Amino acid sequence: MTLASIIFALLGVVAVSGAVVTVFARDVSRMAMGLGAFLLAVAGFFVYWGATFLGVVQLFVYIGGVLVLMIFAIMLVHRSPDGSPLLETRHDVAALAVAGGLFFMVVMALRGVVPDSVNQGIESGPAELTEAFLGPMLTHFEMGGVLLLAVLVSVVVILGGDDR
Amino acid sequence: MSGLAWGAFYGLAAGLVIAVAALIGVWGERKVSARIQMRIGPQELGPFGLLQTLADTVKLVLKEDITPRAADVRIFRIAPLIVFAPIAMSLAVIPYAAGFAPLDTSVGVLFFMAVPAISVIGVLLAGWASRNTYATIGGLRAAAQMISYELPRTLSVLPFVLLAGSMRPLDIMDEWRWWWIPLTLIAFVVYFISSVAEVNRGPFDLPEAESELVAGYFADYSGIRWAIFMMAEYGGLVAASLFGAAFFFGGYLGLPGALGVIVLIAKATLIATAMMWVKWTYPRMRPDQLMGTAWKVLTPMALVQLVIVGAVIPWL
Repeated sequence: MTLASIIFALLGVVAVSGAVVTVFARDVSRMAMGLGAFLLAVAGFFVYWGATFLGVVQLFVYIGGVLVLMIFAIMLVHRSPDGSPLLETRHDVAALAVAGGLFFMVVMALRGVVPDSVNQGIESGPAELTEAFLGPMLTHFEMGGVLLLAVLVSVVVILGGDDR
Repeated sequence: MSGLAWGAFYGLAAGLVIAVAALIGVWGERKVSARIQMRIGPQELGPFGLLQTLADTVKLVLKEDITPRAADVRIFRIAPLIVFAPIAMSLAVIPYAAGFAPLDTSVGVLFFMAVPAISVIGVLLAGWASRNTYATIGGLRAAAQMISYELPRTLSVLPFVLLAGSMRPLDIMDEWRWWWIPLTLIAFVVYFISSVAEVNRGPFDLPEAESELVAGYFADYSGIRWAIFMMAEYGGLVAASLFGAAFFFGGYLGLPGALGVIVLIAKATLIATAMMWVKWTYPRMRPDQLMGTAWKVLTPMALVQLVIVGAVIPWL
């Protein structure tokens, strides 16, 4: 068992524990912490696979941005004074079924694509990413941009729909 | 195993550097503020009162570590560490000497901007876990402020990425030329102001405004955990000064070894002193002024600087 595989296993444990805490915690602040641990482990996975740039962007955008905004929103909503469960309805069985199905689909789709759990030692830094995005991946990159624009427009339409 | 051992050693060293920097920083701040207010400052313990902060540290370590009964105990206890650890990590990518940065990575500049963003979560959780209105408001203010100022701060260092064509700090230091100082003057102003706001220091210390929020998100902390928050603040100040000295003023200026490190630290000390000077000169801002400065003044300034650098590059 090499050091790399130990780190990989540790990241896996953190990711899974974070995900479990996110789903099963009864207190929203604990959920946020679980989600933070999960996102941090994902950033760790990116760095582990040599995608340092992606790992740092994951930190910046998801932990420094999205998660902070989520906690911000949680802090602004009502909290029960005795710390009792804040969620009144749950669909644990249905959620488990969906998660299980999705996991199966992802595993089937990625089988053969992901190499075994050993770092290949390839670093894809900003220069390589730029070359890829402005070269062979240009269409995909632009499509991503168009998709995000469509999402933004739909949000504007949904939120401002009644505002005549 | 050498990588892990080196990482552990570095972690220990970073903690120690921040602790010593906080000791000296608190003493320096007391002396600077005393000068500004025509006082003498600490003078009883040791020469020039140098041992005063050491005595205060002993007091803080020995003080009872109180956890409020209503607090969310686990999160309350872990929050100071979530604030402190990312600040210590950010010190890793600073180019201290010719060819030496503890963590030499191709995304060093982004790393320096991204990793301290994690500490915002610690601040929010500290405010939330205290179950105290003042602390919660302080936490919310801190999060809004830190997220807003991250944008101009990140934009302000982009001119160097453009000029050097790399995000690796050591590459930028290799490419560094003296005329970058006048060229990136606007960027430095933006970086300086947003760094002061990023570490929640006056006149941007709204999250801990003592006259309205007691001490904001760390109002309920005492003893060593309170000291960790203070260390994180001074650690942020040190990191911002070192990074600013390296990029905006050429860091070690091509000098070899220890001489270069001394020059870097001297420049960083000047920047840190200027930050203290600002804190003790200007009154605290209003929340709307604070947000307005970030979005309506600093962000456009940083963008103008980017345009200027972009226009200069083809002529180089």
